[in-house]
Amino acid sequence: MKKIKIMVIIGILGIGTVSGQITKVDQEVYGMDCAPCAYGLERGLKKMDGLQEVRVSLNDGKAYLGLADENKLTLRSIQEEVKKNGFSAKKAEVTIMGNATKEDDQWFIETDNERFAVSQDTPVELIQKLTAGKTSVSGTVQDEEDDNLSEQWVILLSKIE
Amino acid sequence: MINRVFPKVSLKVHYVKLILLLAISGTAMAQGHGPLYGLQTPTLAKGGVDLNVAGMSLGTETETSYMLRYLFSYGITEDLQVNLTTPTMIERLENAPRTRGNSNMPANGDIEASLWYRFFSNAFGVGKRFESTAILGVSAPTDDVRGQVNVGNSIHAAISTGYASRTWYGWIGGGYQYYFEKDGEQLGDLPYASAVVGYRPNIFMGDYPKPDWRIFIESLAEFPGDNKFDGQPDFSDSRSTKVLVGPSFLGLYGAWGISFGAMFPVVQDLTPGTVKEKYRIAINLSYWL
Repeated sequence: MKKIKIMVIIGILGIGTVSGQITKVDQEVYGMDCAPCAYGLERGLKKMDGLQEVRVSLNDGKAYLGLADENKLTLRSIQEEVKKNGFSAKKAEVTIMGNATKEDDQWFIETDNERFAVSQDTPVELIQKLTAGKTSVSGTVQDEEDDNLSEQWVILLSKIE
Repeated sequence: MINRVFPKVSLKVHYVKLILLLAISGTAMAQGHGPLYGLQTPTLAKGGVDLNVAGMSLGTETETSYMLRYLFSYGITEDLQVNLTTPTMIERLENAPRTRGNSNMPANGDIEASLWYRFFSNAFGVGKRFESTAILGVSAPTDDVRGQVNVGNSIHAAISTGYASRTWYGWIGGGYQYYFEKDGEQLGDLPYASAVVGYRPNIFMGDYPKPDWRIFIESLAEFPGDNKFDGQPDFSDSRSTKVLVGPSFLGLYGAWGISFGAMFPVVQDLTPGTVKEKYRIAINLSYWL
């Protein structure tokens, strides 16, 4: 009986906590050519809640981001920060801990705030490894128009943990 | 118009004076991460702030000006930027040529507010982008008379387009400054054009946060119109033509930027009474908040 009570309390406390999130993002950035550009982007990203590590490379044209274990950051908010700095956010290599679901033969990886449709170009052997429920995947999120970002993305999987 | 004669002071003394003033001021600011003199295109990030101090000197055949100039810039959006610049005139020219300090700063003692609108931007690769920016500014003078002519408020408009990458840079642009009449007199207008090419050698290709240096070759073509003033026998409505070329250098490190350079006239086809220029030098320091 005591165990059940503890489980109920944990369950209640657990409501509202993060159950799926992005844990790593290597965001490609176009148009960033100078040190103050990188400085501005780095500073802007560091202000975002949930980012543990931020490194900006001018030569790679990338922002390398390590996210906290439990965070509510979205890829959209990261790409909007890139745009706010005057640059263009392109494709992103991400690691996601989320829920895999299947609808009409289409796999999705869902975090609390965003949904990633698994690209049909993902190798069949990787898609076959997907099972419904919690999963950790890595892949490349395809570029979307900066002015038309939403919570829906397409991801080409490269790894399933 | 009468050209006054001023006592000659050795050029060396002037250089020392300028360097000392810049050192005392602690900061001399750049307008950004583009060229020193020519029109450029980059705008600040949304909510970004850029503080600048510049030290400028302009030498003519008869006299030399020294000025410190302060510039505050704020990014309303990533494409819209507002600027305010004020001068501290250390030594004014009695017979000042009409020119601009750079795209964000007048070369004379004007207070200027301006708006930059980057109306086109195409980031098409790592570190690469094409963009175009329009500038609209209004100025109020801090002197009553410039070159023996009453000086009024002015407006300035310019447009520039350019390419930036991690190695090569290039901008071209054109602008126009119009001075309003004051007490029956009027400074001549100033159409101008600029072209800049920039290059960053491999040795400075170190990644952020390492220092980042680049060199520019800048050119300006200016076509100042004649002044209108009291007692003028006959207003000729003619224009001078000036072409200036020179190098500038830009160093960037984290939130800081320093640029310095000089321009020298290669063409001076001047209307009568217009003083010849010998050089322009400037140093800027920027800090991005």
